[in-house]
This record gives sequence, structure tokens and C-alpha cells, in this order.
Amino acid sequence: MVGTTPAPRALVIGLGAEHRGDDRIGLDVARALRPRARGEFDVAEAPGDASGLLDLWVGRETVVVVDAVRSGSPPGTVRRVELGSSDLPEGPAITSTHGLSLREAVALGRAVGRMPRHLTVVGVEADDLGLRDGLSVPVARALGVAVQAVLLALADRASP
Amino acid sequence: MPERTIAVDYLARVEGEGALKVRIRDDRVEEVQLRIFEPPRFFEAFLRGRSYAEAPDITARICGICPVAYQMSSCHAIENAYGIGVDAPTRALRRLLYCGEWIESHALHIYLLHAPDFLGYPDAVRLAKDHPEAVRRGLALKRAGNRLMSVVGGREVHPINVRVGGFYRAPTPDELLALRPELQEALGLAEETVAFAAGLTFPDLEEDYEFVALRSDREYPMNEGEVVSSRGLRIPVASFEQEFEEVQAPYSNALHAVRKGGGSYLVGPLARYALNADRLTPRARAAAEAAGLERPVRNPYRSIVVRAVEVVLACEEALRLVDGYRPPDPPSTPPPDPLPAASGCAITEAPRGMLYHRYRLDAGGAIGEARIVAPTSQNQGRIEDDLRHLVERSLRLDEAALTSACERAIRNHDPCISCATHFLRLDLERS
Repeated sequence: MVGTTPAPRALVIGLGAEHRGDDRIGLDVARALRPRARGEFDVAEAPGDASGLLDLWVGRETVVVVDAVRSGSPPGTVRRVELGSSDLPEGPAITSTHGLSLREAVALGRAVGRMPRHLTVVGVEADDLGLRDGLSVPVARALGVAVQAVLLALADRASP
Repeated sequence: MPERTIAVDYLARVEGEGALKVRIRDDRVEEVQLRIFEPPRFFEAFLRGRSYAEAPDITARICGICPVAYQMSSCHAIENAYGIGVDAPTRALRRLLYCGEWIESHALHIYLLHAPDFLGYPDAVRLAKDHPEAVRRGLALKRAGNRLMSVVGGREVHPINVRVGGFYRAPTPDELLALRPELQEALGLAEETVAFAAGLTFPDLEEDYEFVALRSDREYPMNEGEVVSSRGLRIPVASFEQEFEEVQAPYSNALHAVRKGGGSYLVGPLARYALNADRLTPRARAAAEAAGLERPVRNPYRSIVVRAVEVVLACEEALRLVDGYRPPDPPSTPPPDPLPAASGCAITEAPRGMLYHRYRLDAGGAIGEARIVAPTSQNQGRIEDDLRHLVERSLRLDEAALTSACERAIRNHDPCISCATHFLRLDLERS
């Protein structure tokens, strides 16, 4: 339409810590998605504390965050949560080995008005969050499923 | 007397997670343990056999909050080993990068982790609902620091532009000048932050700290200086391990640093300010004076004001360095060829205090041995002393209040427990 600003591209954010075992799954999913973005969506990695997410996602229509979760499900289980206008549910627990957790970042973003319009969280159930280089076997096996879950979330948003 | 135990799963609002155990018997504090379950020296082991050139990027990943500190200490230590001298423009650009990290890390701690303690909120989210303007100020400051790290460091968190000898690519003057308006605004926000912090209500107490920090002839310390203490110590960085040692606490597989023949000591903003207040930049000094900040500050709760003063200093320094910027050319100084066997060490001032790195490098550049002493492990013994005194004064408090007071006392020192630990818990045991 003439005279309107095109909506900003969707953004995928991988959250996690590189050497904290399965906590890096968000970063790995982001890296796997980068070559598939082809200018259709942006990809960012957020290895610090989650309060930095507020600056990454503000002004975006559609954002998908990928993070390790702990909910008691079998390691490697992939879940997708649409946030809508609600806070993150009490479960699954979103892990954080850094400052603010994803749950806190969402609540903080709402309190100060720095949220995207639609936020989807793709959580991958973690097994080992100790200081370790590399994913556990079940979480490594879930990488492809998590990538597909993100692409599906983006497709659902693109064709309402 | 019945035995009572309080257990809290995590220390809230501490970077990473921490655990504390306090045992009280007959109204006497028997034991205070700040426990750290660090898988022993993971990163030191991880570095062995790697190339010297990988050390800045690998160690930067130890902490998502202070990656620049790890990069700076590792670069300086390896340059010290190889005898690489960096030129003034490189030095200035490194200080600019460090300013970004100080602004970012201190703003996070002041507003999102520490302020809720003083204003009676359980966390930053509840604080933001009642005081959104304060939290927005903190987020804007944090953003300015992040932007600076992003432009100089190449990426906001875990900068990738830093290398031994300098930088992979020097930013253009225009790239840095583009930061000026945001830094100018951040300076104003930082001054408001000092006033905000000074207006909080502080418990009335003082601790007898031995402060330890870097001190240099020309400026408030970040990347260089001698190690000095408030009890008269003055040594070159190379003598650090002769004067300080790490001892294994039986309840923890992390190491506590102590003064040899002495006891615990404190690093971080209170120590830097105590030993370098005469090196503050003009507006930081004016802000400290307007806030009525005494020197030294021995009340740990007032560390929030000192952090705010350091944010003013970092904004002022960033503006000065942006204005005087000359791109280092070439952007880095190469190491000797061939690479000899060598050893070197360095200390820089992470936002939380001195960060020591030492490397033994084999001929050819592989890391034979790495030693990293993080600020939190240096402060750990001193935090335990603060807690012991707090519990002794507060024996009449109920468990919930005492637990909360202990967590608060730990947060005064902004421990980045993720640098030194993994999941920890709080246990308070009375009998």
C-alpha cells in the first residue's frame, strides 16, 4: 500500500550461555536458522542477561525466542508457547544462568512498554546445565525439531 | 532448643545463582558459608592446549555480564608475556570499550537488581510497575553501554572485535561520533542516577574493610595500574600471587582469595573509590560531592551510590575518548615470530573488581597453564564477614526477615556468581 511503512521483519532470538551445557540450545537454533533467513526474518543471539531482550524486540511485530527450559518433561522435549497478552505461564520454567530470566524480561517489558506485538517462546527441555561444552545427546537430537518449531511459528504469523 | 532451618532455593537478583549457609547456636553465629559448587576450574582446564589467540574469546564467555573484563585481562596478560606494547590509540579504544561494560553492568545492578531492596519491592518487575520512570532510566543507560560495546566490540554481548595486540578492525571516527548524542544523554541520566541512589535510605553501619584496587598515575583505573590497598600495600601486578593466595574452603570446590598472612579483603567499586577518589573525572566528582559521598565509603549498602558515580565517570570518559578518537593504525600489533615460550599476567578492573589472569605459553603459542582469579572469588571471604556481622546484629529477626537481610547484604557486593559457580541455595540453620 502506498504511503505506509512496511512492518519490520520478524525476529528470532536465541537465548543462552555458550558453555553451560544445554543452556546453549537457543544459540545453536539461532545459528542453524541464520542461513535459512534469506532476508525474510532477522536472527539475533542473546548470550547475556535477558533484560537485553527488551531492546532487541521493541518495535517488532513478531518475535520468536528460543531458550532452554526446565519443566520435568523428558530432555529434548520442544514446546511452543504463544504469549499473547499474558505473562509466561508458571510452567515450563525458563532457565537462566545470567541476570534476569526470560520470564522476568517479559514482565519487565510489559511494565515499561517495551514488548513486541506477538511473542512466541520455543522452549527445549534441558538435561545438563553444568559448565560443559556441548549439548547433551537428547537435546542435540532436538535441534532440528526446535528449528522446525520456529519456522512453523513464523509461518503461522505470516499467514494469519 | 529446637533446631530451625530455612532453605531458599536461589539467591534472587544475584548474577548467576548463589547459596549461603548460616548456622546459629545459642544466639551465637557459629558458621557462615557462602558456598560455591564450581566444577573445578572448568575454564582454566578448557584453555589448556588452545592457542593464545583464542584466550580473549573463550574467557569472554565465562560471564555474560562482564565479557570485556575477561578479554582485557587475557589480552594484557598475553601481551605482557610476549612483550607486546600497545600504542596510545589502542589503549584509548580499549578504555572506551571498558566504559561501555561499566555503564551496562552498573546500570543493570543499580536499577534491576539492587534498587528494589531499598524501595521495598521483591524484584525489578514490581519496581517497574510503581516506578516505571526509574526502570526506564536504568534501561536507557544500559542501552547506551550496550551500544558502545556493540560499536567498539563488534557485538553487544561477548564482543568479537578484541584480539591480543589490539582490535581486528578499528571503528571509523564517524561510527564513534554517532554515539555522542546517546552518550551525552546517558551522562545526564547517570547524574540523575547518583541523585536517585543518594536519596535512598541506608541502614546505619560501617565495616572495617581492607580495600584493594588498581591505581595508576593518570586516571581512574580500568586497564592498568599497580595493586594498592587501604592498609599500605603497593605492589606491581606481577607480585599479586606473592601477596594474595587462594585457599580451598572445605564446603566449596571454588577457591577463596585472601591476603597472605592477613584476612579477607574487598575489591570493586567501594575499593576503587576509596583508593582513587582523587582520580574521578570532574562531573563524577561533582556528583559525588553533591550526593554527600564520604571517602572512603565503609557502608556496603551505599555501594549503590558509588556505582552510580562510576557510571557518571564512564559516560564522561566515553565522551572524552570519542571526541579525541584516532583510529589505531594498524589496528593491532603482531606478536613475535616465532612465538617463544613465555609467561605473563595482568589485572584489569571488571565492574565488580580486580580480575587477575596469568598464562604460561608454550613455544608456538599453545596455552600450557591458565590462572584466573575473578572478583567474586576475591570478595567471597569478605562477604561472609559482612554476613556474620549482620546475623550477629539481627538475631531477633524471624527467619524470613533474616533470610531477606542476608540476601540483601550479598547483593551489596554485586557478586557475579555465574563467574565462579552454578546452582546454589540458601540454608539458615538455628539451634
